[in-house]
Amino acid sequence: MASRALLSAHQVSKSYGDFHALRNVSVHVDDGEFISIVGPNGAGKSTLVNVLTGLLKPTSGHVHFRGQDIAGIGPVELSRRGMARGFQLVNIFPELTVRETLGVAAASRLRRIGNPFRSLGGDREIRDAVEEVADIFNLRHRLDQQASALSQGEKKLLDVASAFALKPELILIDEPTSGVSTGDKHAIMELLVSASRKAGVRGIIQVEHDMDLVARYSDRIVALQAGTVLADEKPETFFKDPALIAAVVGTRPPKVPPREMAPKAAVQESRPC
Amino acid sequence: MTVFLDVLLGGVFHAAILFLVAAGLQLVFGVQKVINLACGSFYALGAYFGITAVGLASAAGFPAWTVLPVLILAGLAIGLVGLPVERILRTVYRRDESYQLLLTFGLLLMFQDVFRFFWGATPRTLDNAYLAYGTAEFMGLRVPTYNLLVIAASIAIAVALGAFLQKTRTGRIIRATAENRDMSEGLGVNSSRVFAAVFTVGCMLGTVGGALVVPASASSLEMAVELVVEAFAVVVIGGLGSMRGALAGALIVGLIRAAAIMVLPEAEILSIYLVVIAVLILRPAGLFGKAMA
Amino acid sequence: MSTPTSAPATVAPAVSPSLWRPSGLISFLVIIAAMAGLPLVASTYMLTLMVPFFGFAIALLGFNLLFGYTGLLSFGHAMFLGIGAYAAAVMTSKLGVQSLELILLVAVAAAVVIAVPVGFLCVRYTRIFFGMLTLAFGMLFHSILFKFYGLTGGDQGMRVMRPLLFGMAFEGGKTAFITGPFYYYALGLLTLLGCAMWRIVRSPFGLHLTAIRENAQKAAYLGVTVSRMRLAAYVISGVYGAIGGVILAVTIGLADPEIVYWTQSGNLVFMAVLGGSGAFAGPVVGGLAFVLLQDTVMSATQYWRFVMGAVLVLIVIFFPRGIAGLFGDAFARLKRGS
Repeated sequence: MASRALLSAHQVSKSYGDFHALRNVSVHVDDGEFISIVGPNGAGKSTLVNVLTGLLKPTSGHVHFRGQDIAGIGPVELSRRGMARGFQLVNIFPELTVRETLGVAAASRLRRIGNPFRSLGGDREIRDAVEEVADIFNLRHRLDQQASALSQGEKKLLDVASAFALKPELILIDEPTSGVSTGDKHAIMELLVSASRKAGVRGIIQVEHDMDLVARYSDRIVALQAGTVLADEKPETFFKDPALIAAVVGTRPPKVPPREMAPKAAVQESRPC
Repeated sequence: MTVFLDVLLGGVFHAAILFLVAAGLQLVFGVQKVINLACGSFYALGAYFGITAVGLASAAGFPAWTVLPVLILAGLAIGLVGLPVERILRTVYRRDESYQLLLTFGLLLMFQDVFRFFWGATPRTLDNAYLAYGTAEFMGLRVPTYNLLVIAASIAIAVALGAFLQKTRTGRIIRATAENRDMSEGLGVNSSRVFAAVFTVGCMLGTVGGALVVPASASSLEMAVELVVEAFAVVVIGGLGSMRGALAGALIVGLIRAAAIMVLPEAEILSIYLVVIAVLILRPAGLFGKAMA
Repeated sequence: MSTPTSAPATVAPAVSPSLWRPSGLISFLVIIAAMAGLPLVASTYMLTLMVPFFGFAIALLGFNLLFGYTGLLSFGHAMFLGIGAYAAAVMTSKLGVQSLELILLVAVAAAVVIAVPVGFLCVRYTRIFFGMLTLAFGMLFHSILFKFYGLTGGDQGMRVMRPLLFGMAFEGGKTAFITGPFYYYALGLLTLLGCAMWRIVRSPFGLHLTAIRENAQKAAYLGVTVSRMRLAAYVISGVYGAIGGVILAVTIGLADPEIVYWTQSGNLVFMAVLGGSGAFAGPVVGGLAFVLLQDTVMSATQYWRFVMGAVLVLIVIFFPRGIAGLFGDAFARLKRGS
């Protein structure tokens, strides 16, 4: 199975002196999968994310993305290889407009940087790419507004949308809905899933604390504890094991049934504009 | 051997003065996060005012040996100018540091003409006032006692400052404010008073440094801008915000300068910048600095 | 006592150049048009003031690519003025090369040769550290110029002979040359370089620079090669600085170490902020305002530094967006009123 994996970490360990942040962790993302990484604070989620995105070199083990070793390649090379990363805190360019923000990613992807005299305004391909992503994320009417003027939810969308503008094969998002109201959370997740389908994203990894969201959207859940993989299960199996849930989040069971049974609400249209 | 000692003593004397100014710069940077380009002006102000004060004192019949205490008192007194200057600087604490740099650059320009207005454009000296203290034999070398007294005074100030910051309650409040302004405000610290006090102390370190140097060298309109770059070299070598760094940096700059003047006068300033750049390449945060962006 | 100093954000001016994009080129061209017509109405004295302004304006266009757009404050940018000035001096007095085009080419090449290694070392840092490092390099250059008398004429500087413009020699007095053919030559150069800079800031390349200013970490994950782009901005700004330096040195007829002293770098920052680093044409406006203001104040009082310093302090406190910001507010008010 690991052979056709989009992203795979094999027996990865990462230690800082005596402290072992990760110990022999193996995870993989297959084509078309939505993976959630869960675990209590200090379980090693951030370290794993940093290893998976090539920011950190593992102390031992391998990380392969589309068959190539990506250990420690850094953010720019990562984006070129087809992986995008979103951050936990809203991470935008405050004084750039939505169009410009998406344009940054489109310009990188289309390799428009070599010639500093090239026109940006007259570049049809960049404009089309920007508008396509803006449409997917309902940001078209905001294209010429400064990012700092957007609502909190829209900023979060813009953050994710800019990652999509790279046309990545895999996208890794750290708590995509943190700091967003509960109503907006599902809207953003629905949008994220449908956008991935439209944009041809072949895999999503999210780090998430909110078990409702985890239960509803994941194809598979990887639970970390003290730097090791505690479980790697489908949601149906995962949420049947109260001991496992307790280890990860405490005792609260999910309020929402797993994804298969969830009503496919058309949250997308109900978003305030 | 005598050449070596000569370089050593000359370098340490210069380092003692540089340390005072750099310590003021570090203190203000540590707490307010402002790089004060006007630190050079404070230094020059101390020098000019020191000359005036010694002139007044000798006219009032003070004996010659009072030069050193008079200079220190004059430096401390004129250092109070830090209070009104801090009021101006206060307007940009929360702003981008480019504005802070520019504001202090504007102050530097203004001070330049203040000196010209009060003291004229020609350099002023205290005609060999340091001779009042005679010379001392130091390992077979005759040196002005005054230079040794200044070195001692600078060490005393360094020790006192360190003890104040580490041991006293006020010192702890200052360090807490430096670490996290908002948190210390939450704990009831009046940070605007801390800032005013810190800036004034930083200013006094500069003015005292300037006052102490005048018996040995002239005060001139250029001394402010010239000192800024040397003080910068000190803090870059030592590491921004670190007092131990200021000490090490001052010694390095002082000794290199003294050695270069002796061996290769062309390379006097050049050698300092080469060290600065070497440090930045090899140890970007400076010798005692923490990580930087 | 030591303090952590690792804030990740970069230096960002108060207002984004993007707000001004539609009118930036027009404001610039209006100034150019006014300058082109100036010889018809203004005194010779006024014209001799304008030529150094053209030199500063070119340097400031480059400086602001680094400061306003990329968010890096250089406090040693006068080094590039010096590179241009000394290139002109060495070429005309030592090598006997009089062609201004050739001089400009050599100045540009020298600026690139120096900017690449210096920039490579400096762009690893941002904020205050970038400022201090560039200041250190500027002063290193100054002490080389100052101390190596045989090579550079030391504090006396080096003479800059009158160059040939497009291979043509011009007879007559110095003032006639400076306010006549050279005036238009420099203005033409400013126009050309201004339009080129307009293209740069409106290109995908320029967009990536502003992304770095706004949030370098995020930019990297969107494929922006942060260090390489910062270096590119530094080199381009250095080239503009050197070209400005050639114009200044030809105008003065002399290249001396004063031109690279750190206070001169400070003056460049002063001009940029006076005009408004957030607007494309802001620094050019600032250069003009600075030259005119300094001339007025200097003729009124010997304490002109005090007045200039006070102006700077007031601008920083009350009008951080500079003259361009004031205009912007006025326009906004007009719009709301109508």
